Amino acid sequence: MAARTPASAARRTIATPVILALILLGLALLAVGSGSRPFNQTMIDIFLRVVLAVGLYIFVGNSGVMSFGHIGFTCLGAYAAAWLTMPPMMKQTLLPGLPGWLMETQLPYWAGAVIAACWAAGWAALFGKILMRLSGIAASIATFAMLAMINTVYSNWETVTGATSSVVGIPIIRSIWPYLIAAVVAVFIAWGHAISRAGLALRAARDEPTAAAASGIDIARQRLIAFVISGAVMGMGGALFAHSIGVVTPDTFYLTLTFTTLSMLVVGGIGSLSGAVLGVVILSGLIQGLRWLEAGVSIGATTFAIPNGLQEITLGIVMIVILAHRPAGIMANSELNWRRARPEIPDDVPGNMPTNKE
Amino acid sequence: MKNMSKFSVALLACTAIAPPVLAQDDKIIVGFATAESGFMQAYDKPAQDAAMIRIGEINAAGGLLGKQIEVVNADTKTDRAEGAKAGLSVIDAGADLVVVSCDYDFGAPAALAAEGAGLPSFFLCAESIKAGIQGVGPNSFSASVLAAVQGATMAEWSFTKKNARSYYRLLDTWTEYNKGICDGFDYMLPKLEGASLVGEDTFKNEDASIAAQITRIKSLPAEPDAIMLCTMMPGAVSAIKQIRAAGINSMILNGSGVDGSYWLSAVPDLSNFYVPVQGSIYGDDPNPAVTAFNAKYKEVTGGDPSTQYVYPGYVMIDVWAKAVERAGTTETAAVVAELEKMTAEATLFGPRTFSGELHHQNSAMYLIVETENGKPAVVDNWTISAPIPVADLMK
Repeated sequence: MAARTPASAARRTIATPVILALILLGLALLAVGSGSRPFNQTMIDIFLRVVLAVGLYIFVGNSGVMSFGHIGFTCLGAYAAAWLTMPPMMKQTLLPGLPGWLMETQLPYWAGAVIAACWAAGWAALFGKILMRLSGIAASIATFAMLAMINTVYSNWETVTGATSSVVGIPIIRSIWPYLIAAVVAVFIAWGHAISRAGLALRAARDEPTAAAASGIDIARQRLIAFVISGAVMGMGGALFAHSIGVVTPDTFYLTLTFTTLSMLVVGGIGSLSGAVLGVVILSGLIQGLRWLEAGVSIGATTFAIPNGLQEITLGIVMIVILAHRPAGIMANSELNWRRARPEIPDDVPGNMPTNKE
Repeated sequence: MKNMSKFSVALLACTAIAPPVLAQDDKIIVGFATAESGFMQAYDKPAQDAAMIRIGEINAAGGLLGKQIEVVNADTKTDRAEGAKAGLSVIDAGADLVVVSCDYDFGAPAALAAEGAGLPSFFLCAESIKAGIQGVGPNSFSASVLAAVQGATMAEWSFTKKNARSYYRLLDTWTEYNKGICDGFDYMLPKLEGASLVGEDTFKNEDASIAAQITRIKSLPAEPDAIMLCTMMPGAVSAIKQIRAAGINSMILNGSGVDGSYWLSAVPDLSNFYVPVQGSIYGDDPNPAVTAFNAKYKEVTGGDPSTQYVYPGYVMIDVWAKAVERAGTTETAAVVAELEKMTAEATLFGPRTFSGELHHQNSAMYLIVETENGKPAVVDNWTISAPIPVADLMK
């Protein structure tokens, strides 16, 4: 067995992000190869959901604290991207309340996305400093309150966010590559965090909070680190979301997106990075397949179509069936690896040390 | 696990089968990237049916430029991200014109996709100035009339024809559309000599009670001649009911959003209530061709038009087809140029004007529908004395 150094941990687990990146690359090549614009856009959508699900996994998967508030960071990222990349002329008419220096700024989309990620991370640090002292259901409810606060501010600050009106003029990026890169970067960030000292400590605190605290782990601090990193990834996702359709409104980043992202993560396996990615890919694949059936398929001379709306029902049933058979999600707590289902090496986790349980 | 991911890849591959269809020379394609499900369907479907009637008429008369018009559809599911995809799919299917959802917020992603592909787009019935050059780009149009024109029409008409002098402005801040109506009212009021605003207030569509606002109206020294009510369904019904229940009998002026008789049973014997419409669904339109259209609509869809928002769909295909005919091609720049040349172009529902500055109507002939004892009927028509300048619309 390899010595327990960070380098060896990286070597042992690098297969997971590499396999996931290859799956994503395969999907991107499929989209490019098809030459169909709507299919390309569908794939862009899937990559965005991968970014969001992975961003959510970084915090929820490692800390075990359910968060309903992460889409708030996506909202922050999307609007930051709008502020930074829209032509100044459009900002003057749509968002007259922006400060002068921001009004004049027009950055390329990638720079906007990086700054948007930092902006979301900054707010995550501020909120996290307060929220991470809570635990269990109280923390989850507090994150939900945070989402509601962000949404309320963005829905009403007329001169800076355009309130409920659509903000338009954001450059639209229809090339799939930036989205692929973002998804792969998100996967590697999540992996890097998971194998880091902070990631290990956080998982230890998730599984055995008392023992972890007794071993000197500052749980609130470890949670805060994960919260900030996941906030940054969610912010990046939001920025790219804005560039994918060119329009942002506050209600896009509210309950529907929150629950879609959460359900994809839960179906994939909440405690697994591979689960976050595969949950999105499998459910999105299913959604697309059903939509395709809804639109109608020609078999010989007859067109076969399922009634409109059946897609949502089928999706719900499939999710129930998956969760009934695999309550911990498709991947449960395991990760994809070259070799089959290699068990997690147990002695990495402090919580696995012999403990006296009464 | 590997099998499952293979399965999903295969599933995704299936959706990629439809290859892009190149524009074909023997037909003209209109792509509808509109809502076939979700709440926007209630707005998109009727207008789209009207558009289909016009397309049917053109095809029956030999087509456009000698070619038949074909239609392709993609469902936006009342979702913005799906809207972008729907726009792209009709573009891939070879659309020469992309028709998008009625509402600016939901139609914009598909319209932006069309703009990106260099194709003309038409919003079915959006009434915000953003639905056009200002919010999409130089090839985008709206088939309806700006909300501001409705507010301005009601102000000027009531001043001139009903001798209203004191006005109260009650705005529901829920949507851009509502704000647009009141913006038009605000623009017109100072131009009417002798008219005064005796008070103003706001509420939210979802408010169960507007008692506070009503108390303020009641505490005015005299009941205002008219209340400009800038709101829409579903909150409008409750607001109107509460105003009348409080014993306020002032005229109530509205935008077109409250047209239709489907809700009138909720406010029995409503009177002194005025709505501007592009055409009458009540069978009493001064233009017999509109009544004939209503009959045809009933024949095709099995029901009468429920509101005036059916009509813009018909106007849209009408003006676009004329522009294509004049340009002799469906090529975007030529068609847009012909549309921009239209000044007071006659349509079934009044004259339409487009310019290089505005792809929307900043003036239009409106019929005034009065509801008396719960019975709506056309009583007058009005065109504002001067179009609302674009600078005022952008405020």
